[in-house]
Amino acid sequence: MNIHTVKHWLAGAVVASMLGAAGIVHADEKEIVIGGSIPMSGVFSFAGIGIHAGIQDYVSIVNEAGGIDGHMLRYVPEDSGYKVDASVAAFKKITSQNDVDFYYGDSTGFSKTINNELNRMNSILMSGASFASELNDPEKYPYQFLVGPDYTEMFGILLRHIADESPGAKVAFVYSDSEFGRDPIETSRKTAEDLGLKVVAELMTPPGSVDVSTEIAKMRRARPDYAIFHGYILAPIPEFIEQARKMGMDTKFMGTFWTMDNSTVMQMKDVADGFMGVMPYRYYYDDSESAPMLEKIREMRPDYQNVPYIQGFLSAMLYAESARRVLAEGKEMTAQNMKAALNSLENFDTGGLIGVPITIRGNSIPVGRIYQADVSQGKMLPVSDWIILE
Amino acid sequence: MRIGTAKFSYRHDEALFDSRTQYAWLAILGLGLVAFPFAVNEYWLYLACLMAINIGSAAGLNILTGYTGLVSLGHAAFMGVGAYTVAVLQGAVDLPVLPNLLAAGAVTMVAGFIVGIPSLRVKGLYLAIATIAASMILHFVFSNWQPVTGGTAGLMVNPARILGIDLDTSFRFYWMVMPITLLMLLGAANLFRTRIGRAFIAIRDRDISAEVLGIPLLRYKLLSFGISSFYAGVAGGLWAYFFRIITPESFPLSMSIFFLTAIIVGGMGSLLGSILGAAFITMVPEALKLIVGWLPISADATLILSPVRTIVFGLLIIGFLIFEPLGLQEIWRRTQRFFHLWPFRS
Amino acid sequence: MEFDWLFFAEITLAGLGTGGLYALTALAFVIIFKSTGVVNLAIGEMLMLGAYLCFGFAVDFGLPIWLAIPAAIVVGGLAGGLIERLTIRPMVGESPISTFMITVGLAAVLVGLVELVWTAAPRRMPAFLPDEAIFIGEAFVPSKVFYGFFVTALLIAIVLLVFRYWRGGVALRATAFDQAAAYSMGINVPRVFSLSWIVAAMIATMAGILVGAVGGISPSMGIFGLSVLVVVIAGGLDSVLGALVAGLAIGLIEAWASGFLGGEFKIVATFMILIGVLMIRPYGLFGTREIERL
Repeated sequence: MNIHTVKHWLAGAVVASMLGAAGIVHADEKEIVIGGSIPMSGVFSFAGIGIHAGIQDYVSIVNEAGGIDGHMLRYVPEDSGYKVDASVAAFKKITSQNDVDFYYGDSTGFSKTINNELNRMNSILMSGASFASELNDPEKYPYQFLVGPDYTEMFGILLRHIADESPGAKVAFVYSDSEFGRDPIETSRKTAEDLGLKVVAELMTPPGSVDVSTEIAKMRRARPDYAIFHGYILAPIPEFIEQARKMGMDTKFMGTFWTMDNSTVMQMKDVADGFMGVMPYRYYYDDSESAPMLEKIREMRPDYQNVPYIQGFLSAMLYAESARRVLAEGKEMTAQNMKAALNSLENFDTGGLIGVPITIRGNSIPVGRIYQADVSQGKMLPVSDWIILE
Repeated sequence: MRIGTAKFSYRHDEALFDSRTQYAWLAILGLGLVAFPFAVNEYWLYLACLMAINIGSAAGLNILTGYTGLVSLGHAAFMGVGAYTVAVLQGAVDLPVLPNLLAAGAVTMVAGFIVGIPSLRVKGLYLAIATIAASMILHFVFSNWQPVTGGTAGLMVNPARILGIDLDTSFRFYWMVMPITLLMLLGAANLFRTRIGRAFIAIRDRDISAEVLGIPLLRYKLLSFGISSFYAGVAGGLWAYFFRIITPESFPLSMSIFFLTAIIVGGMGSLLGSILGAAFITMVPEALKLIVGWLPISADATLILSPVRTIVFGLLIIGFLIFEPLGLQEIWRRTQRFFHLWPFRS
Repeated sequence: MEFDWLFFAEITLAGLGTGGLYALTALAFVIIFKSTGVVNLAIGEMLMLGAYLCFGFAVDFGLPIWLAIPAAIVVGGLAGGLIERLTIRPMVGESPISTFMITVGLAAVLVGLVELVWTAAPRRMPAFLPDEAIFIGEAFVPSKVFYGFFVTALLIAIVLLVFRYWRGGVALRATAFDQAAAYSMGINVPRVFSLSWIVAAMIATMAGILVGAVGGISPSMGIFGLSVLVVVIAGGLDSVLGALVAGLAIGLIEAWASGFLGGEFKIVATFMILIGVLMIRPYGLFGTREIERL
């Protein structure tokens, strides 16, 4: 046997062994699996950490109580860094290794990308961090839902409040040049006009923009009574508010969901006083009415838990409820059945996390309340009743 | 160096594969590629398809940057052009898959010609910066040409349909993307056996000398941009059929840097380099996930995954440029040489 | 339609403010290019690092702001020297494109490091510029921008003076002009390389602190560097005067585009200028024409 033949056989053996397959791990069939592409690192990490903790806590509450009809919940997360390709890769990995029933997605981009896959699989019901209006379409996105109102509905709630407080007021929209930012602007313009409000300025800022002096100058031109920020987490809102106050403008500033967390708003320090916005949930420290779930959360976690925590917690609650209903009727856990079960929720009590009992007719929960920042107390206080959009 | 391969004709000399050993290895590779999808689950198939698309695109970038020496930071934008072309044509006239991919390549080729025009006036780094500018302008077009590109919401793409079958799983998609990628690689390999390819290499080495030798610089530089963009366009079209949704944010500047990293790590000016580099860089995020999971740090380790990924990418570029400028393909060849000469060490 | 002069004045002033910052950062870039011939794509990230260093000293270590700023400048400078030693020095003699790619890798590493230590969430710098609103005539200028502009002008003046009169500055200029001649005059050229990176890093840090004071800090601040790249191309890669003139010009043009056309046109306007400059005067307004020898 010469050296070449030996080499050939060696090579062949190596290649053959490399063709070995990665085995598929079969999950326990009795478990209900919640998968998640969670943005635990990256730009959105403050939200990701909260969401992660929220889902974890709810899962442990249910499991301690014996699961859902004896089926235990299992939560399988992966970090996505808020990047769509990483989220998709995580989805593929988790679904290949587990029999997933519910999934939490980290962004609008991910939800849209994975939609076709969800429709094909018909085995997963998905929600996520996105409140994009596009997703609120039961025909195009049949197996997805939003855990709150979509951005257009949020604007609707804000505009309604403005129209009630100051009819005929002048309103400005300040939003970021991204899909997130542009999402509700078109429709909201019409809503504002229908409510008799005047949209005097629509200011779009480039993403990651450092200097917004030109936009501030434009806002001074327009002199709005109210200005709604959307598409940001923090910057450049403090800049705008500071400069506006310096200029002597007494515009009232408002924001949508992602700018309304306590920690984010309080980072603005003094400027934050009076900052308003719409929030579908109660804040962690809210003890105005009886809220058994909120009390339980405060027991489990003595430190302040941010709003994304509540969102994750609530998502898990809705997943569990949907699973419970499907199993109670003895049906199979297909996406179709799970979505139908979700839509059967009428006047469902979230244990006080949302102030009123909820009904999920389409893909969203169009409920919210206006809160206002009180810097001296370091809290967001409610200034309106719970508004339910039809 | 292969021992005992005497060539008896020019044709034989030029051949891409010339010995029985090589044919045997190719056959094993072929079998492996065919058997692969049956042996692994959806996750690995997804990675394989993604890798194939990246390899095709990296090969295109290598033609421009590795072989012609024109550094381009706009490759992702070209892929975007290809992806949008596929989406728009499918939406407007429902062009079948293969003509659609060719059309995507063609449209991107035209874009490449346009972007290459400044190469008449500027070279080297200035050209690289011009490609950044082109990338930004294209991004602007994607975001704001609402009626055609759907603005920031983007476009959705129906699954590719071949012979009546919808390619909507990674398994099915693999059978389309693998042959196309192989064709692209074969095309690139052949390109560098023709005078066009040699002209590119001459331009890279010393473009003034090339001009003195009679190579019309502008024409060949534009051709290089064109061919490279064609590859990017086809890869972008495949991307569109794979992910089925494209938005302006799908093709950011960081993706161009991703591909540049891939060819630097793999080896510029080498087709094997494109393959190795693209495969390696596609696997890095997944491998990092595994490594970070193994390390004996607390559960907070997942929090650092994203920044660690960014750092690793940067360190890969710096590390390979300083320590192994010829890239992974040089490591591969060194190993190959070692085994060829074993046990007769030189 | 009456032309709104007040609005024009306001955005012009805002544009000058930003332009001043561009000019300062472009100065740092030009120093590196003039001395070492390296196109530093990571200039925006060095600026970001400087801002975060100041933030770290002021907030994490609790130093008073007038201590944190010098501390940040010193450490930033040292970081620049370290970067040069570790990543640029080994590439001496390699093609400029390779060195360019190294700076691309460097940018990624800096962004990752900052994210690792401070997370990717945007932060605000502690205020150190006077607060009251500034009105020039009737035009309103955000106070930060106003004071920022003066600080920038002061810094640029200091830097130019230093170059003119300090031995190190002279050595830098000599090395930039002709390396071989500088060697033969006894100038320690490798030391000059390090010096140029240290000085440039210090300037970038100062710019970063100002940019951070105006708009907050975040790991994506490096995008400032892209506009600076346009500035140096327009002004000439190796021209200090070009950096100043082009910096102000680009700042103004961006502000006008953003003000009159809309926010989304800002980046596009900048890059159209770039393409224009590349086609008409590829070496920039004041750059030296590169004569390639075979």
